[in-house]
Amino acid sequence: MHINISQQIPNAETSAKSSTQSDANIHFERVGFRYDREGEILSDINFSLPPGSMTFIIGPSGAGKSTLLKLIYLNMRQSRGHITLFGRDTSQIDRKEIPALKRRMGIVLQDFRLIDHLSVFENVALPLRVAGRKRADYKDDVLGLLKWVGLGHRSHALPPTLSGGEKQRAAIARAVITKPDILIADEPTGNVDSDMGRRLIRLFTELNRLGTTTIIATHNTTLIPEDANILSIEHGQVTGTISGEHIG
Amino acid sequence: MVNTLVDTDIQHTELTAQSHVMKTQAILPYDKKNDRPLFMVLVILAFLATITLLATASGYRAAVGWQENLQGKLTVQIKPTISGADKITHNTADKAERAKIILAELDQVKTVTILPDEHSKALLEPWLGDASIPDDLPLPILLDVQLNSSQNLEVKQAAILLAEAGIRADIDDHSQWNKEIKRTTSAALLLSYLALGLIIIASVAASIFATRAGLTAQRRLMDVLHQVGAPPDYTARLLSTRFATSGFKAGALGAASALLASVLVGMMFSTSNGFSYFLPGLHLSLTDIYLVIAVPSFLALIIAITSWRTVIKTLYNEIYP
Ligand SMILES: Nc1ncnc2c1ncn2[C@@H]1O[C@H](COP(=O)(O)OP(=O)(O)OP(=O)(O)O)[C@@H](O)[C@H]1O
Ligand SMILES: [Mg+2]
Repeated sequence: MHINISQQIPNAETSAKSSTQSDANIHFERVGFRYDREGEILSDINFSLPPGSMTFIIGPSGAGKSTLLKLIYLNMRQSRGHITLFGRDTSQIDRKEIPALKRRMGIVLQDFRLIDHLSVFENVALPLRVAGRKRADYKDDVLGLLKWVGLGHRSHALPPTLSGGEKQRAAIARAVITKPDILIADEPTGNVDSDMGRRLIRLFTELNRLGTTTIIATHNTTLIPEDANILSIEHGQVTGTISGEHIG
Repeated sequence: MVNTLVDTDIQHTELTAQSHVMKTQAILPYDKKNDRPLFMVLVILAFLATITLLATASGYRAAVGWQENLQGKLTVQIKPTISGADKITHNTADKAERAKIILAELDQVKTVTILPDEHSKALLEPWLGDASIPDDLPLPILLDVQLNSSQNLEVKQAAILLAEAGIRADIDDHSQWNKEIKRTTSAALLLSYLALGLIIIASVAASIFATRAGLTAQRRLMDVLHQVGAPPDYTARLLSTRFATSGFKAGALGAASALLASVLVGMMFSTSNGFSYFLPGLHLSLTDIYLVIAVPSFLALIIAITSWRTVIKTLYNEIYP
């Protein structure tokens, strides 16, 4: 039997200060997803993440966390139900509009997806280049961000020469360089020790404080800050939600 | 944004200024090591295609040239009569003059020229070598008859006219030789068209195949570009420009080597007047130059179209939801 928990996860502090990004919400309504004809990987998923919120998605391996994120960043379409993103029903979004929407989202995947033949600087600058921005305009921003994530001295390095944690930070820098409205990270602390893990989570928290709606999938629950929202899924279903301490 | 975040505990020990100029890296650079095998295949294809094109064009020109030379032309040979030792040459020359007048009066004939002795001597050379031919040797006299274009003079008709005037002559309208040339060159042309067709099909197929293989290696790049919000056109333009440029370079190298090779081989095996029938040799025409330019352009075009279509198809079918 399916247990449906439909609950709003508000984050009073951040939603209050991010009125300019009022459409950076994510809303799932009775969403189901299946690969091919096998059983549903996700079923009856209901939740709502307001703009500026920070949410951790937790659950055992194979629960469907990555799949859920893929639906959010428009990598796949749900099999049924409705997903609202930036105030729009995703089933109504034409694929021609997807690149523009992707530019409003920062995505950090577990395998980093860095381009090996480009320097750290170029990897981080890639979203800006693709958006047609001039190098002279963004150069200082990129260098500044690299310093901020502790990669200032590695801006010329090629990804294969970076450590796991450095790659992770480069991938995060690339995801946030455009100041996205939504930041999505899949297992961003999977490849680093707990110390680096804590630093990276703090980095996400800082970004979230600036108004970015942040969603992080992880099975490392020890790193989750006390005031974060938690959405736990198991066997493709939402089994619980914990609202951040701002709600009480 | 960056400035407001400096209070994190991420180590800032390496805040050395990176303000020195950095060159923008190409998103898709030329990867010599990995591209070389494909590049070489394209060079070889372009080489073969160019050689075949040049040979076909040159062979075609040679065939047309020979036929034009021989058509509308008769050669009349006035034989010396073997009697009375002294007057032989004079007698033959006289007959030649009369034959010239008779033939020139015909409607179909444009001009009649009595060819100088050298031509007759040249005919004997194969038998006598270049040892000086004695002046008193009875030589036939050759008449070159040019016909008005598109007019035909029956060999028999001319022979009868001359015979009636008491002139014994051999008339050759080169029809036998002409037919032979036509047959041989048609066969050669047919073969080179066939080879050309096959090489073009092979080049198209190989460049499509090579492009697709090359793009498979760029799948990750396509994924990343999509992830950071690059529109499909951006990715397709980036990849197809890069592949087409590479194809053009390979094509240009192949075509240029083919031209060089055919000129060199043509020079080595050309006839004494610098003409080698199925190779351009030193007789490069404008067409040859056009062909050599056309090959890499065509190769680049095929590759551009293929890579554009493959990228768009991959993006829409596999990367987009
Ligand atoms: N492309 C696919 N085709 C078919 N099944 C898939 C595919 N991708 C994932 N799955 C299945 O969907 C289920 C959920 O996978 P998902 O990657 O979302 O899990 P997860 O919660 O992210 O696990 P982990 O913590 O190990 O990353 C798994 O059973 C997995 O085998
Ligand atoms: Mg996962």
